[in-house]
Amino acid sequence: MVSFTVNNRVVTFSGSDDKPLLWVLREDLGLLGAKYGCGIAQCGACRVLVDGESTPSCVTPVGAVAGARIVTVEGLAEPDGTLSPVQQAWIDEQVPQCGFCQPGFLVAVTALLDRNPNPSDAEINAVITNICRCGTYPRIRRAIHRAAAAQG
Amino acid sequence: MPRLLSRRALLLTGGALGGTALVAAVAGTGYLASVDMDGPGAVVDGERVAFNAFLAIHRDGGVVIQAPRTEMGQGIHTGLAMLVAEELDIPFDARIRVEHPVEQLPVYANFAPLNIRPEDPTGPVLWAAKRVLGALPMMNTAGSRSIIGLWVPMRVAGAAARHMLVAAGAARLGVPVGELTTADGYVTHAPSGRGIAYGELVRDAALVPPPRDPPLKPASAWRLIGTPQKRVDLPAKVRGAPVFGMDVVLPDMLHAAIRQAPVSGASVARLANEATIRALPGVVDVAVIDGRSVAVVAQSWWQAEAAAWRAEIAWSRTEADQVTTAKLARDCRQALDARDPHLHLREGDVDAAFAAPAARIVTADYAAPFLAHACMEPMNATVLIHADGTAEAWCPTQSPLTMRWGVGRGARLAGVEPTSVTCHVTMNGGAFGRRSEVDVVVQAAFLAARHPGRPVKLLWSRQEDIARGIFRSQAAARLRAALGSDGLPIAYDAMVAAQAMMHSASRRNLPYGLGASPHGDRFSVEGLDKRHYRFASRRVRSRHVPSHLPIGAWRSNGFSFGTFFTESFLDECAATVGEDALAYRRRLLRDSPRHLAVLDRVAAMAGWGAPMAPGRGRGIAIEECYESVVAQVAEVTVAPDGELTVDRVFCALDAGIVVNPDSVAAQMEGGIQFGVTTALMSRITLDAGEVRETNFHDFPMQRLADAPEVVVEILRSELPPGGAGEPGIVPVAAAVANAIHAATGRRLRAMPFAVLEPDRDGRLRTFLPPATQARG
Ligand code: FES
Ligand code: FES
Repeated sequence: MVSFTVNNRVVTFSGSDDKPLLWVLREDLGLLGAKYGCGIAQCGACRVLVDGESTPSCVTPVGAVAGARIVTVEGLAEPDGTLSPVQQAWIDEQVPQCGFCQPGFLVAVTALLDRNPNPSDAEINAVITNICRCGTYPRIRRAIHRAAAAQG
Repeated sequence: MPRLLSRRALLLTGGALGGTALVAAVAGTGYLASVDMDGPGAVVDGERVAFNAFLAIHRDGGVVIQAPRTEMGQGIHTGLAMLVAEELDIPFDARIRVEHPVEQLPVYANFAPLNIRPEDPTGPVLWAAKRVLGALPMMNTAGSRSIIGLWVPMRVAGAAARHMLVAAGAARLGVPVGELTTADGYVTHAPSGRGIAYGELVRDAALVPPPRDPPLKPASAWRLIGTPQKRVDLPAKVRGAPVFGMDVVLPDMLHAAIRQAPVSGASVARLANEATIRALPGVVDVAVIDGRSVAVVAQSWWQAEAAAWRAEIAWSRTEADQVTTAKLARDCRQALDARDPHLHLREGDVDAAFAAPAARIVTADYAAPFLAHACMEPMNATVLIHADGTAEAWCPTQSPLTMRWGVGRGARLAGVEPTSVTCHVTMNGGAFGRRSEVDVVVQAAFLAARHPGRPVKLLWSRQEDIARGIFRSQAAARLRAALGSDGLPIAYDAMVAAQAMMHSASRRNLPYGLGASPHGDRFSVEGLDKRHYRFASRRVRSRHVPSHLPIGAWRSNGFSFGTFFTESFLDECAATVGEDALAYRRRLLRDSPRHLAVLDRVAAMAGWGAPMAPGRGRGIAIEECYESVVAQVAEVTVAPDGELTVDRVFCALDAGIVVNPDSVAAQMEGGIQFGVTTALMSRITLDAGEVRETNFHDFPMQRLADAPEVVVEILRSELPPGGAGEPGIVPVAAAVANAIHAATGRRLRAMPFAVLEPDRDGRLRTFLPPATQARG
């Protein structure tokens, strides 16, 4: 039995402790925003915030997040639906193509900007290691800078 | 002209709008002659009026557009909606909803196999072929043909509805049609200052016969076409909404995982521990599908996948058990010497030109590896066989037609014959040709047929996706040119050896054992004919190289290697006569003004000819493909230790009239990244018949840090639209190879170019291979 919060909601999971957080989110909690892309911490499509840290949920056993504060892509917007500055920058720069990788990028960038409100290109390169097969990287870079500027 | 299928009949008998509302009034059928659009009169369905196969208007003013092409990231739903909105005179805003149709209608067919536009005048043979494709209907999203094919039909659909609304408005207001104008979703009578919202007119408009041939706006009146519009699907996507096939959730759903043969073509000899697997938590069923794969069905995918990991499967031995990459590469090279290749094209006397004593001969061999698609969303499908024998399926597919066939085929394998199949096409998390395949649908339908009344969602793991997938063919080519006294080819001779894509794909995906010949595959020779270049004589030949690997469509198909071969070779010809690569191509394009304009534009963008620092280089390449012309200049840096980076790529594109320039630019940007990844690092290799790569650690992808800056310019054009989904990747490998040559003097003739080495931070770095090392 594991309890934690997801997007400010307290949840309890009573299945096996070693089920990856990704599949608990998707199958048990009905939160389908985090995606399965590789299952081995390579692509980042499954990234969620665990106590503010961008974390590949596909290799995080749910037992390891007891008591943690989880935020998924569904939890980035304000409760009234207003997009977060990162999401808004993603719309303004028209970043997504297929969009499948983007929840992971949005989460990773949210964590980056929380820590480093105005990252350089080199800092972005070092931290944002997700894969986008559609090749939206140039727009992702622009959107990160735009979101940083918007957050001031 | 006969009508094969009346949409009205379909709607009335099939409950095709979902059977939810009473289908009330039906006007006289009409015929939209300009696009051969058959039979639809307007249909009133509750609060919503379906004006034709492409659009419905709600009484509250909302517009629902049926976009009969798959949204896989290319922005097609937005582009198609813009075409309707343009002619309908509605604002391009949130009141528009775009759906992939559930019905499969003749007007939704893609005529890509015929290489024609629906509006083209056609003779009796093409007319008949169109009818066949319509009757199927050949619904798919492929060949960069979506805007090409729907450019006129979507606008006619909007114009026809507008005509009907105006007629209804004229009757309501008691004024002549000629005094009415439309804008922003209103019919307006300027003299009296009165206006009526479309929503208030829809029921009256439904009774107006559709116009036979509604005039379309002249280009000067366009307010949407050619302007950047925001994608209609992105708000949901940045919120993480469940729009993909993988996100389908249905009541009582079961989840399935699968294990397929390591050596393609092998069958399941024995599942040693079935009883153990069945006893694992959550497991509901274990099944061998068609003798070829083992699936585990469970209450959750995690349980199904965990159980599949433990399955002890013995596979049959096959003739391919000893096949290695080296063996297949050798087969390709040897096939270049085949005595009876297929002749695709011959102009002039090539052999005589090569025999001329004064000719300078240039010859070079090139190679390209097998590739996986690695769509971000792994393969999946959800199928439900209802108790009444009807079937329903949800799939991120590029091909609703083969999806429908696949559900039937899979169910029949389990001894169930569905009485009907309803197909829901979800958003695709990438596709790149991979989702034209029926495989995962057949498997899911087989499993669903074993669990009637319960939906079964089958999801492949990434390992299955990469190692057990469908691949782009491997290829080798020999290019030869005889250069005349002016340095330009008096003869050009291209010979390619590759697995014939359509031969392999058709046999997997078409019913009744239909299959294309292995000889003369047109995809194998894409990028080889260089017909825009003035050569005094030319010849293009191919040879099919058998392989046990299943070969399928892969973004830009033959162009993805062919243009690398030919545009590298053009540089080799230019170098032979000591001429600048741009100047050489300009001379060859002197009769092709469209191509020359694109080439000159990209050269100007890149500052072609400006000096570069040592270790840096610039390369250029151009191709005509998908009715578009695209040219690129790549800038690379090769460090003293051999580290290779692609710094920047310039891209100029003439894609005819461009509907949404921002989406087209995005396709160029993304295509370039896709192409750079491929050129530098992608290859599928085989050992003992088995694909070695299994996931992103050994089939790596470029990341943000490696992504070159991209600069795109779209040329103004009045030609009808060309394709945009694939051209972006086509020239980039050659441009990079040519840039590496400029930087180092080394000519790389085999993809991928780089050797990969992780650095201390785990980031993969790309190095040129040592100069002596033979590759490919
Ligand atoms: S699915 Fe977790 S990193 Fe790829
Ligand atoms: S947008 Fe398709 S993978 Fe990133």
